[in-house]
Amino acid sequence: MTNVVRRAAQRTVMFVAALALVAVVWETYKAVGPEDGGTVLGVRILPRTSEYAMPHVWDMFSRFSRPEVRGSERTVLDAVTAGAWYSFRLSVAGFALGALVGVALAVLMARFKVVQRGVLPYLVVSQTVPLIALAPLVVSWGGRVEIGAFVWPRWLSASVLGAFLAFFPIAVGTLRGLAAAPAASVELMQSYAASWTKTLFKLRFPTAVPYMVPAFRLGASASVIGVVVAEISTGLKGGIGRLIIEYAREATGDPAKVYTAIFGAAALGLVMAGAVVAVDVIVMRNRPKEAVS
Amino acid sequence: MTAVSIRNVSKVFNQGKPNQVDALSNVALEVKQGEFVSLIGPSGCGKSTLLRLVANLLEPTSGEVVVNGKSAAQARLDQDYGMAFQQAGLFDWRTVRKNIELPLELKGWDKSKRSARADEMLQLVQLPEFGDHYPWQLSGGMQQRIAIARALAAHPPLLLMDEPFGALDEMTREYMQGELLRICAATGTTVVFVTHSIPEAVYLSNRVVVMSPRPGRITKVVDVSLGGERSEDTRNRTAFFEAITAVREGLRGMHAAHVGLGNDDR
Repeated sequence: MTNVVRRAAQRTVMFVAALALVAVVWETYKAVGPEDGGTVLGVRILPRTSEYAMPHVWDMFSRFSRPEVRGSERTVLDAVTAGAWYSFRLSVAGFALGALVGVALAVLMARFKVVQRGVLPYLVVSQTVPLIALAPLVVSWGGRVEIGAFVWPRWLSASVLGAFLAFFPIAVGTLRGLAAAPAASVELMQSYAASWTKTLFKLRFPTAVPYMVPAFRLGASASVIGVVVAEISTGLKGGIGRLIIEYAREATGDPAKVYTAIFGAAALGLVMAGAVVAVDVIVMRNRPKEAVS
Repeated sequence: MTAVSIRNVSKVFNQGKPNQVDALSNVALEVKQGEFVSLIGPSGCGKSTLLRLVANLLEPTSGEVVVNGKSAAQARLDQDYGMAFQQAGLFDWRTVRKNIELPLELKGWDKSKRSARADEMLQLVQLPEFGDHYPWQLSGGMQQRIAIARALAAHPPLLLMDEPFGALDEMTREYMQGELLRICAATGTTVVFVTHSIPEAVYLSNRVVVMSPRPGRITKVVDVSLGGERSEDTRNRTAFFEAITAVREGLRGMHAAHVGLGNDDR
């Protein structure tokens, strides 16, 4: 257990160190880079270092504690936290939906080879559709699609787009995991005359866990991306994506502000992925350490 | 009473294709209840295939396999046999106790009954204090004993073993052979045992079935007259060496014709 704690501490230190390094690089370039950027044959290849293009790192952080708009009680931190919390809930919904669809598809593909051959290529194709193109379509369902008493709320569109990105790595990773059961174990279950369903739950799913965890982690961050992009491209109110566009519009007067929203979005992705890792640690606590792929 | 009856069984893999393999050709064998029979032969002789036909993990191309007086398929559905492989194949995510309970769970036994049986099996393989350990915390020999406990948990009348001690070192292996004989004597289980090792086959068996490849068939059956009680001293008895010589001659008889052609039979 002490090893686990030490590794976690090491990782945290490395994470903070990497962040600090990025900040140092940013500030160093800002200090030594040309004010007007560098141009070669009229094409700008180095960014400008002016206060408007590259605000100081400390300005970005101090911006959190100042009011969102002049004379307001509400700080940027409050606004970003509220926006991130809203987007977080949409992302969790998207992730849950994506996981449900992904695992169901993986089970169907593992059960029926025909389904796998027929469906898998389309899954790959689905991921080449640009999300930005899809977003307005899905968002337009908001308030228009009615199924009985159910009226499609606008936020659900953002979650669906999150799910659209999340389900793919989950389906592929789970499928690989379900197929990873050793032949001898499958024979053993056969020798017990165990049904396919019993083999699935008692053998295939437990074997698949080490494959499913990295897939779910990818799915969790993909869901955040889907939700934030959907918010940005459709201007859905309340989330971190909307804050990013709003703050970006103020970039000429208040360049540090937009970075606060970007940090909020990054933190959101980290929290989502971290939650999956936490579940992983709990689920895998009794497994041999070397069996984890 | 006959535990296993193999009647003129043939098995062809990839029939009609260029890579057709005659794994077994006209094999006939009767195993009496309580008997310990070993199948021995070079790689590719079909001994593992034969075991899988008895287990109904494979269907014969022709012929018939009868287990406990019923078809092999029915015997599998009724869980009339337990099986152990070269790899213990315990589930890493289950405790030792839960591994032993697996076949009982699948039979739909209730919790207290399962637990009582797991205790009984842990006593039988003499690892009562390891029930709550995880398999990867145990040595290879201990894991294999748990695998045997799992195979016998439902008290099947027949135990099918495919080189169960093949991955163990020599000392552990001889110890495990003694353990297996003790367990079988205590439970009266019939055993069909696949092995590569001549001394192992002779030490354990009432009869050793010598098989040869291409096509897989039975070439010789050696009766081992060592009696029921066997101990470490058995390995020094003249009858032990005589039986080893008999099996070796049986293997050599066909080995001359097939030397260098072996490929793995699994």
